[in-house]
Amino acid sequence: MSIDLHSLMAPYALDALERDERTRFEAHLDQCVDCQAELAGFMATAVRLGDAVSHTPPPALRDRLLSEITQTSQERPVVTALAQRRSLRRTLPRLAMAAAFLVGAVGVGGYVVEHENASEARNDKVAISQVIGADDVATSAKSFTAGGTVRMYASPSADAAVIIAHDMPSPGKGKVYQVWMIDKSGPTSQGTFVDDGEMIMKGVAGADRVAVTVEPQGGSKQPTSAPVATIPV
Amino acid sequence: MARRKLLGKENTVSPSAQLRLADAPAYASDTADLGDLLTLVGRGDERAFAAVYDALGSSVYGLARRVIRDPSRAEEVAQEVFIQVWQSAARFDASRGSAKSWVLTLAHRRAVDAVRHDQAATNRENKYDWSNGPDFDEVEETVTISLEHEQVKRCLEGLTELQREAVNLAYYKGYTYAEVATALGANTATVKTRMRDGIVRLRDCMGVEA
Repeated sequence: MSIDLHSLMAPYALDALERDERTRFEAHLDQCVDCQAELAGFMATAVRLGDAVSHTPPPALRDRLLSEITQTSQERPVVTALAQRRSLRRTLPRLAMAAAFLVGAVGVGGYVVEHENASEARNDKVAISQVIGADDVATSAKSFTAGGTVRMYASPSADAAVIIAHDMPSPGKGKVYQVWMIDKSGPTSQGTFVDDGEMIMKGVAGADRVAVTVEPQGGSKQPTSAPVATIPV
Repeated sequence: MARRKLLGKENTVSPSAQLRLADAPAYASDTADLGDLLTLVGRGDERAFAAVYDALGSSVYGLARRVIRDPSRAEEVAQEVFIQVWQSAARFDASRGSAKSWVLTLAHRRAVDAVRHDQAATNRENKYDWSNGPDFDEVEETVTISLEHEQVKRCLEGLTELQREAVNLAYYKGYTYAEVATALGANTATVKTRMRDGIVRLRDCMGVEA
Protein backbone atom coordinates (compact mmCIF):
# COMPACT_ATOMS: atom_id res chain seq x y z
CA MET A 1 0.00 0.00 0.00
CA SER A 2 1.26 3.41 -0.89
CA ILE A 3 0.46 5.24 2.33
CA ASP A 4 1.91 4.33 5.66
CA LEU A 5 -0.99 2.63 7.37
CA HIS A 6 0.80 2.74 10.68
CA SER A 7 0.44 6.53 10.71
CA LEU A 8 -3.34 6.05 10.67
CA MET A 9 -3.41 4.45 14.10
CA ALA A 10 -3.90 7.65 16.11
CA PRO A 11 -6.56 9.01 13.72
CA TYR A 12 -8.23 5.60 13.86
CA ALA A 13 -8.32 5.62 17.66
CA LEU A 14 -9.91 9.08 17.53
CA ASP A 15 -12.39 8.03 14.80
CA ALA A 16 -10.82 10.61 12.51
CA LEU A 17 -10.66 8.43 9.39
CA GLU A 18 -12.98 8.42 6.41
CA ARG A 19 -14.94 5.24 6.13
CA ASP A 20 -12.82 3.69 3.34
CA GLU A 21 -9.61 4.41 5.20
CA ARG A 22 -11.10 2.97 8.36
CA THR A 23 -11.83 -0.26 6.50
CA ARG A 24 -8.34 -0.36 5.08
CA PHE A 25 -6.76 0.23 8.44
CA GLU A 26 -8.84 -2.53 10.03
CA ALA A 27 -7.71 -4.95 7.35
CA HIS A 28 -4.10 -3.98 8.09
CA LEU A 29 -4.69 -4.33 11.81
CA ASP A 30 -5.68 -7.93 11.36
CA GLN A 31 -2.16 -8.80 10.22
CA CYS A 32 -0.21 -6.50 12.53
CA VAL A 33 0.24 -7.86 16.04
CA ASP A 34 2.41 -4.92 17.14
CA CYS A 35 -0.29 -2.50 16.03
CA GLN A 36 -2.92 -4.34 18.05
CA ALA A 37 -0.92 -4.00 21.24
CA GLU A 38 -0.27 -0.30 20.75
CA LEU A 39 -3.78 0.40 19.56
CA ALA A 40 -5.28 -1.04 22.75
CA GLY A 41 -3.56 1.71 24.75
CA PHE A 42 -4.66 4.38 22.26
CA MET A 43 -8.26 3.18 22.36
CA ALA A 44 -8.27 3.10 26.17
CA THR A 45 -6.98 6.68 26.14
CA ALA A 46 -9.74 7.76 23.77
CA VAL A 47 -12.31 6.11 26.04
CA ARG A 48 -11.05 8.25 28.91
CA LEU A 49 -11.63 11.34 26.82
CA GLY A 50 -15.15 10.10 26.12
CA ASP A 51 -15.90 9.30 29.70
CA ALA A 52 -14.93 12.79 30.82
CA VAL A 53 -17.99 14.44 29.27
CA SER A 54 -20.82 12.45 30.83
CA HIS A 55 -24.23 14.04 31.03
CA THR A 56 -27.41 12.69 32.61
CA PRO A 57 -29.77 11.52 29.88
CA PRO A 58 -33.48 12.35 29.85
CA PRO A 59 -35.34 9.75 31.99
CA ALA A 60 -37.64 8.89 29.06
CA LEU A 61 -34.68 7.34 27.24
CA ARG A 62 -34.36 4.58 29.81
CA ASP A 63 -38.06 3.75 29.66
CA ARG A 64 -38.04 3.72 25.90
CA LEU A 65 -35.02 1.42 25.73
CA LEU A 66 -36.32 -1.04 28.31
CA SER A 67 -39.53 -1.24 26.33
CA GLU A 68 -37.83 -1.52 22.96
CA ILE A 69 -35.47 -4.34 23.83
CA THR A 70 -38.42 -6.57 24.68
CA GLN A 71 -39.19 -6.46 20.95
CA THR A 72 -35.66 -6.53 19.59
CA SER A 73 -33.96 -9.71 18.47
CA GLN A 74 -30.34 -10.38 19.39
CA GLU A 75 -27.38 -11.68 17.48
CA ARG A 76 -26.47 -15.25 18.27
CA PRO A 77 -23.57 -15.85 20.62
CA VAL A 78 -19.89 -16.55 20.19
CA VAL A 79 -19.58 -19.41 17.68
CA THR A 80 -21.67 -17.86 14.93
CA ALA A 81 -20.39 -14.38 15.63
CA LEU A 82 -16.77 -15.49 15.43
CA ALA A 83 -17.28 -17.34 12.19
CA GLN A 84 -18.93 -14.28 10.71
CA ARG A 85 -16.16 -12.04 11.89
CA ARG A 86 -13.50 -14.23 10.30
CA SER A 87 -15.24 -14.39 6.98
CA LEU A 88 -15.78 -10.64 7.03
CA ARG A 89 -12.13 -9.97 7.78
CA ARG A 90 -10.97 -12.26 5.05
CA THR A 91 -13.08 -10.36 2.59
CA LEU A 92 -12.18 -6.88 3.69
CA PRO A 93 -8.88 -6.42 1.85
CA ARG A 94 -10.56 -7.46 -1.37
CA LEU A 95 -13.40 -5.02 -0.78
CA ALA A 96 -10.96 -2.29 0.06
CA MET A 97 -9.11 -2.92 -3.17
CA ALA A 98 -12.31 -2.79 -5.17
CA ALA A 99 -13.15 0.47 -3.46
CA ALA A 100 -9.80 1.95 -4.40
CA PHE A 101 -10.72 1.70 -8.08
CA LEU A 102 -13.85 3.77 -7.70
CA VAL A 103 -13.21 7.33 -8.71
CA GLY A 104 -14.96 9.74 -6.41
CA ALA A 105 -16.17 7.09 -4.03
CA VAL A 106 -16.12 9.28 -0.96
CA GLY A 107 -17.39 7.54 2.11
CA VAL A 108 -18.85 10.24 4.30
CA GLY A 109 -20.17 8.28 7.22
CA GLY A 110 -23.67 7.33 8.05
CA TYR A 111 -26.69 6.22 6.15
CA VAL A 112 -30.38 6.11 6.53
CA VAL A 113 -32.16 2.86 6.14
CA GLU A 114 -35.42 3.78 4.56
CA HIS A 115 -37.79 1.44 6.30
CA GLU A 116 -40.90 2.21 8.25
CA ASN A 117 -40.43 -0.76 10.50
CA ALA A 118 -37.42 -0.44 12.75
CA SER A 119 -37.05 -4.10 13.69
CA GLU A 120 -37.30 -5.09 10.05
CA ALA A 121 -34.53 -2.61 9.37
CA ARG A 122 -32.37 -4.19 12.04
CA ASN A 123 -32.91 -7.67 10.66
CA ASP A 124 -31.94 -6.28 7.29
CA LYS A 125 -28.75 -4.88 8.77
CA VAL A 126 -27.70 -8.33 9.90
CA ALA A 127 -28.56 -9.77 6.48
CA ILE A 128 -26.66 -6.93 4.81
CA SER A 129 -23.47 -7.63 6.73
CA GLN A 130 -23.81 -11.30 5.85
CA VAL A 131 -23.93 -10.50 2.14
CA ILE A 132 -21.04 -8.04 2.32
CA GLY A 133 -19.04 -10.56 4.34
CA ALA A 134 -19.84 -13.55 2.10
CA ASP A 135 -16.88 -15.38 0.60
CA ASP A 136 -18.18 -15.07 -2.93
CA VAL A 137 -19.22 -11.42 -2.80
CA ALA A 138 -18.61 -9.40 -5.95
CA THR A 139 -18.83 -5.64 -6.06
CA SER A 140 -19.49 -3.15 -8.79
CA ALA A 141 -20.25 0.52 -8.62
CA LYS A 142 -21.31 3.59 -10.49
CA SER A 143 -19.91 6.96 -9.50
CA PHE A 144 -21.35 10.28 -10.58
CA THR A 145 -19.27 13.20 -11.72
CA ALA A 146 -21.32 15.52 -9.50
CA GLY A 147 -20.47 13.29 -6.52
CA GLY A 148 -22.25 10.27 -5.15
CA THR A 149 -21.83 6.54 -5.61
CA VAL A 150 -24.13 3.60 -5.97
CA ARG A 151 -22.34 0.42 -5.04
CA MET A 152 -23.61 -3.12 -5.30
CA TYR A 153 -22.38 -6.18 -3.41
CA ALA A 154 -23.79 -9.40 -4.87
CA SER A 155 -23.39 -12.85 -3.36
CA PRO A 156 -24.56 -15.88 -5.38
CA SER A 157 -24.36 -18.16 -2.33
CA ALA A 158 -26.66 -15.85 -0.35
CA ASP A 159 -28.80 -15.30 -3.48
CA ALA A 160 -28.88 -11.68 -2.43
CA ALA A 161 -27.42 -8.33 -3.33
CA VAL A 162 -26.90 -5.18 -1.29
CA ILE A 163 -27.14 -1.69 -2.74
CA ILE A 164 -25.41 1.12 -0.89
CA ALA A 165 -25.90 4.67 -2.10
CA HIS A 166 -23.64 7.36 -0.73
CA ASP A 167 -23.78 11.10 -0.98
CA MET A 168 -26.02 11.22 -4.00
CA PRO A 169 -26.80 14.62 -5.49
CA SER A 170 -30.29 15.77 -4.56
CA PRO A 171 -32.87 14.20 -6.90
CA GLY A 172 -34.80 17.51 -6.76
CA LYS A 173 -37.68 18.76 -4.67
CA GLY A 174 -40.43 16.17 -4.23
CA LYS A 175 -38.33 13.52 -5.97
CA VAL A 176 -36.62 10.37 -4.76
CA TYR A 177 -34.28 7.79 -6.19
CA GLN A 178 -35.95 4.42 -6.75
CA VAL A 179 -34.09 1.13 -7.10
CA TRP A 180 -35.34 -1.53 -9.50
CA MET A 181 -34.36 -5.13 -10.00
CA ILE A 182 -34.81 -6.06 -13.64
CA ASP A 183 -35.35 -9.62 -14.84
CA LYS A 184 -37.14 -11.23 -17.78
CA SER A 185 -40.54 -10.17 -16.49
CA GLY A 186 -39.48 -6.52 -16.18
CA PRO A 187 -38.58 -4.14 -13.35
CA THR A 188 -39.59 -4.71 -9.72
CA SER A 189 -39.30 -1.85 -7.24
CA GLN A 190 -36.83 -2.45 -4.39
CA GLY A 191 -37.38 0.79 -2.52
CA THR A 192 -36.48 4.47 -2.55
CA PHE A 193 -33.86 6.73 -1.00
CA VAL A 194 -32.93 10.40 -1.14
CA ASP A 195 -29.21 10.91 -0.61
CA ASP A 196 -27.87 7.90 1.23
CA GLY A 197 -29.48 4.50 1.40
CA GLU A 198 -28.74 0.88 2.04
CA MET A 199 -30.99 -1.95 0.99
CA ILE A 200 -30.91 -5.67 0.52
CA MET A 201 -32.50 -7.54 -2.38
CA LYS A 202 -33.19 -11.21 -2.10
CA GLY A 203 -33.72 -13.76 -4.86
CA VAL A 204 -31.35 -12.17 -7.35
CA ALA A 205 -30.44 -15.40 -9.16
CA GLY A 206 -32.72 -14.67 -12.12
CA ALA A 207 -32.01 -10.94 -12.16
CA ASP A 208 -30.36 -9.31 -15.10
CA ARG A 209 -29.47 -5.90 -13.72
CA VAL A 210 -30.28 -3.26 -11.12
CA ALA A 211 -31.33 0.22 -12.18
CA VAL A 212 -31.83 3.50 -10.33
CA THR A 213 -34.31 6.08 -11.59
CA VAL A 214 -35.57 9.44 -10.32
CA GLU A 215 -39.23 9.23 -9.35
CA PRO A 216 -41.82 11.36 -7.57
CA GLN A 217 -41.88 11.15 -3.76
CA GLY A 218 -43.26 7.81 -2.62
CA GLY A 219 -41.94 6.02 -5.68
CA SER A 220 -43.65 4.80 -8.83
CA LYS A 221 -45.13 1.42 -9.76
CA GLN A 222 -43.06 1.34 -12.93
CA PRO A 223 -40.01 3.45 -13.86
CA THR A 224 -41.11 6.76 -15.39
CA SER A 225 -37.69 8.09 -16.36
CA ALA A 226 -34.46 6.88 -17.89
CA PRO A 227 -32.16 5.25 -15.33
CA VAL A 228 -29.40 7.38 -13.83
CA ALA A 229 -27.48 4.18 -13.08
CA THR A 230 -27.59 0.61 -14.32
CA ILE A 231 -25.51 -2.13 -12.74
CA PRO A 232 -25.37 -5.66 -14.16
CA VAL A 233 -25.94 -8.40 -11.58
CA MET B 1 -37.59 9.92 8.52
CA ALA B 2 -37.42 6.47 9.96
CA ARG B 3 -35.21 7.33 12.89
CA ARG B 4 -37.45 10.19 14.03
CA LYS B 5 -40.32 7.78 14.11
CA LEU B 6 -38.32 5.29 16.07
CA LEU B 7 -37.69 7.83 18.76
CA GLY B 8 -41.24 9.07 19.05
CA LYS B 9 -42.97 5.74 18.75
CA GLU B 10 -42.62 4.20 22.14
CA ASN B 11 -42.77 6.76 24.83
CA THR B 12 -44.35 4.49 27.37
CA VAL B 13 -43.04 1.33 28.92
CA SER B 14 -45.40 -1.53 28.28
CA PRO B 15 -47.11 -2.73 31.46
CA SER B 16 -45.60 -6.18 31.09
CA ALA B 17 -42.07 -4.77 30.89
CA GLN B 18 -42.64 -2.69 34.00
CA LEU B 19 -44.03 -5.63 35.86
CA ARG B 20 -41.10 -7.83 35.00
CA LEU B 21 -38.60 -5.20 36.03
CA ALA B 22 -40.38 -4.44 39.27
CA ASP B 23 -40.67 -8.09 40.26
CA ALA B 24 -37.09 -9.02 39.64
CA PRO B 25 -34.26 -8.30 42.07
CA ALA B 26 -32.23 -5.42 40.70
CA TYR B 27 -28.58 -5.80 39.84
CA ALA B 28 -26.48 -3.29 41.65
CA SER B 29 -24.69 -1.76 38.69
CA ASP B 30 -21.98 -0.13 40.78
CA THR B 31 -20.83 -3.38 42.27
CA ALA B 32 -21.50 -5.98 39.57
CA ASP B 33 -18.79 -6.37 36.98
CA LEU B 34 -19.88 -4.69 33.77
CA GLY B 35 -18.30 -7.40 31.66
CA ASP B 36 -20.33 -10.08 33.44
CA LEU B 37 -23.45 -7.98 33.01
CA LEU B 38 -22.78 -7.64 29.27
CA THR B 39 -22.42 -11.40 29.01
CA LEU B 40 -25.85 -11.72 30.61
CA VAL B 41 -27.22 -9.09 28.22
CA GLY B 42 -25.94 -11.23 25.36
CA ARG B 43 -28.18 -14.02 26.65
CA GLY B 44 -31.22 -11.78 26.68
CA ASP B 45 -31.22 -10.71 30.34
CA GLU B 46 -33.27 -7.51 30.46
CA ARG B 47 -32.39 -6.66 34.05
CA ALA B 48 -28.70 -6.89 33.22
CA PHE B 49 -29.35 -4.54 30.32
CA ALA B 50 -31.02 -2.06 32.69
CA ALA B 51 -27.98 -2.25 34.97
CA VAL B 52 -25.60 -1.66 32.05
CA TYR B 53 -27.71 1.31 31.03
CA ASP B 54 -27.66 2.71 34.56
CA ALA B 55 -23.89 2.38 34.67
CA LEU B 56 -23.11 3.78 31.22
CA GLY B 57 -26.16 5.83 30.17
CA SER B 58 -24.72 9.18 31.17
CA SER B 59 -21.33 8.38 29.62
CA VAL B 60 -22.92 7.42 26.31
CA TYR B 61 -25.43 10.26 26.25
CA GLY B 62 -22.84 12.80 27.36
CA LEU B 63 -20.41 11.74 24.66
CA ALA B 64 -23.11 11.81 21.98
CA ARG B 65 -24.19 15.23 23.17
CA ARG B 66 -20.68 16.55 23.20
CA VAL B 67 -20.00 15.44 19.63
CA ILE B 68 -23.45 16.11 18.16
CA ARG B 69 -24.52 19.11 20.27
CA ASP B 70 -28.22 18.86 19.40
CA PRO B 71 -29.70 17.19 22.52
CA SER B 72 -32.56 15.41 20.75
CA ARG B 73 -30.28 14.05 18.03
CA ALA B 74 -27.84 12.97 20.73
CA GLU B 75 -30.66 11.15 22.47
CA GLU B 76 -31.51 9.31 19.25
CA VAL B 77 -27.90 8.26 18.83
CA ALA B 78 -27.64 7.15 22.47
CA GLN B 79 -30.76 5.06 21.90
CA GLU B 80 -29.22 3.48 18.79
CA VAL B 81 -26.04 2.72 20.72
CA PHE B 82 -27.86 0.87 23.48
CA ILE B 83 -30.00 -1.04 21.00
CA GLN B 84 -26.76 -2.07 19.31
CA VAL B 85 -25.39 -3.11 22.71
CA TRP B 86 -28.50 -5.22 23.27
CA GLN B 87 -28.25 -6.80 19.83
CA SER B 88 -24.56 -7.54 19.73
CA ALA B 89 -23.60 -8.03 23.39
CA ALA B 90 -22.78 -11.66 22.58
CA ARG B 91 -19.88 -10.36 20.52
CA PHE B 92 -18.29 -8.56 23.46
CA ASP B 93 -14.94 -10.18 24.17
CA ALA B 94 -13.52 -9.33 27.59
CA SER B 95 -10.02 -10.34 26.48
CA ARG B 96 -9.96 -7.43 24.01
CA GLY B 97 -10.83 -4.65 26.43
CA SER B 98 -13.23 -3.56 29.14
CA ALA B 99 -17.00 -3.44 28.77
CA LYS B 100 -16.96 0.31 29.19
CA SER B 101 -14.36 0.60 26.43
CA TRP B 102 -16.47 -1.50 24.13
CA VAL B 103 -19.65 0.51 24.69
CA LEU B 104 -18.00 3.94 24.56
CA THR B 105 -16.09 3.01 21.41
CA LEU B 106 -19.39 2.04 19.76
CA ALA B 107 -20.95 5.25 21.03
CA HIS B 108 -18.19 7.51 19.76
CA ARG B 109 -18.15 5.96 16.32
CA ARG B 110 -21.90 6.27 16.00
CA ALA B 111 -21.88 9.86 17.19
CA VAL B 112 -19.13 10.74 14.72
CA ASP B 113 -20.91 8.98 11.87
CA ALA B 114 -24.12 10.81 12.75
CA VAL B 115 -22.53 14.24 12.90
CA ARG B 116 -20.73 13.69 9.58
CA HIS B 117 -23.87 12.37 7.95
CA ASP B 118 -25.91 15.34 9.15
CA GLN B 119 -23.21 17.74 8.02
CA ALA B 120 -23.11 16.14 4.58
CA ALA B 121 -26.89 16.49 4.34
CA THR B 122 -26.67 20.15 5.36
CA ASN B 123 -23.96 20.78 2.79
CA ARG B 124 -26.12 19.21 0.11
CA GLU B 125 -29.11 21.30 1.09
CA ASN B 126 -27.03 24.43 0.97
CA LYS B 127 -25.67 23.40 -2.40
CA TYR B 128 -28.95 22.59 -4.08
CA ASP B 129 -31.56 24.61 -2.25
CA TRP B 130 -30.60 28.20 -2.94
CA SER B 131 -33.72 29.62 -1.34
CA ASN B 132 -32.53 28.65 2.12
CA GLY B 133 -29.47 30.83 2.04
CA PRO B 134 -26.62 30.47 4.46
CA ASP B 135 -27.43 29.59 8.01
CA PHE B 136 -26.41 32.57 10.10
CA ASP B 137 -27.50 30.99 13.35
CA GLU B 138 -24.74 28.47 13.30
CA VAL B 139 -21.75 29.91 15.09
CA GLU B 140 -18.60 27.91 14.89
CA GLU B 141 -17.46 27.84 18.44
CA THR B 142 -13.87 27.88 19.37
CA VAL B 143 -12.52 24.75 20.91
CA THR B 144 -12.72 25.07 24.64
CA ILE B 145 -11.97 22.63 27.33
CA SER B 146 -14.76 22.30 29.86
CA LEU B 147 -14.42 18.81 31.10
CA GLU B 148 -15.76 17.47 34.35
CA HIS B 149 -12.96 15.10 34.78
CA GLU B 150 -10.04 16.91 36.38
CA GLN B 151 -7.37 14.44 35.35
CA VAL B 152 -8.40 14.39 31.71
CA LYS B 153 -8.56 18.17 31.74
CA ARG B 154 -5.13 18.47 33.28
CA CYS B 155 -3.66 15.99 30.81
CA LEU B 156 -5.19 17.82 27.85
CA GLU B 157 -3.75 21.06 29.16
CA GLY B 158 -0.36 19.40 29.18
CA LEU B 159 -0.38 19.00 25.39
CA THR B 160 1.04 21.48 22.94
CA GLU B 161 -1.59 23.67 21.34
CA LEU B 162 -1.47 21.83 18.02
CA GLN B 163 -1.68 18.45 19.69
CA ARG B 164 -4.59 19.54 21.84
CA GLU B 165 -6.54 21.08 18.97
CA ALA B 166 -5.94 18.08 16.75
CA VAL B 167 -7.24 15.73 19.44
CA ASN B 168 -10.14 18.04 20.34
CA LEU B 169 -11.37 18.62 16.80
CA ALA B 170 -11.16 14.95 15.95
CA TYR B 171 -12.50 13.37 19.09
CA TYR B 172 -15.00 15.93 20.34
CA LYS B 173 -16.15 17.37 17.02
CA GLY B 174 -15.90 14.35 14.74
CA TYR B 175 -13.48 15.94 12.25
CA THR B 176 -11.50 13.64 9.98
CA TYR B 177 -7.75 14.26 10.13
CA ALA B 178 -8.01 15.89 6.70
CA GLU B 179 -10.63 18.30 8.06
CA VAL B 180 -8.46 18.96 11.08
CA ALA B 181 -5.59 19.80 8.73
CA THR B 182 -7.76 22.28 6.85
CA ALA B 183 -9.09 23.83 10.05
CA LEU B 184 -5.62 24.27 11.49
CA GLY B 185 -3.90 25.19 8.25
CA ALA B 186 -1.46 22.32 8.64
CA ASN B 187 -0.66 19.47 6.29
CA THR B 188 -2.15 16.06 6.89
CA ALA B 189 1.15 14.38 7.73
CA THR B 190 1.75 16.94 10.47
CA VAL B 191 -1.75 16.46 11.84
CA LYS B 192 -1.36 12.68 11.97
CA THR B 193 1.91 13.09 13.83
CA ARG B 194 0.41 15.61 16.27
CA MET B 195 -2.48 13.25 16.95
CA ARG B 196 -0.09 10.45 17.63
CA ASP B 197 2.15 12.52 19.88
CA GLY B 198 -0.94 13.87 21.63
CA ILE B 199 -2.42 10.45 22.33
CA VAL B 200 0.89 9.05 23.53
CA ARG B 201 1.28 11.97 25.91
CA LEU B 202 -2.33 11.67 27.15
CA ARG B 203 -1.94 7.94 27.59
CA ASP B 204 1.16 8.38 29.74
CA CYS B 205 -0.35 11.28 31.68
CA MET B 206 -3.52 9.33 32.45
CA GLY B 207 -1.57 6.25 33.40
CA VAL B 208 -3.24 4.05 30.79
CA GLU B 209 -1.25 0.86 30.34
CA ALA B 210 0.63 1.00 27.07
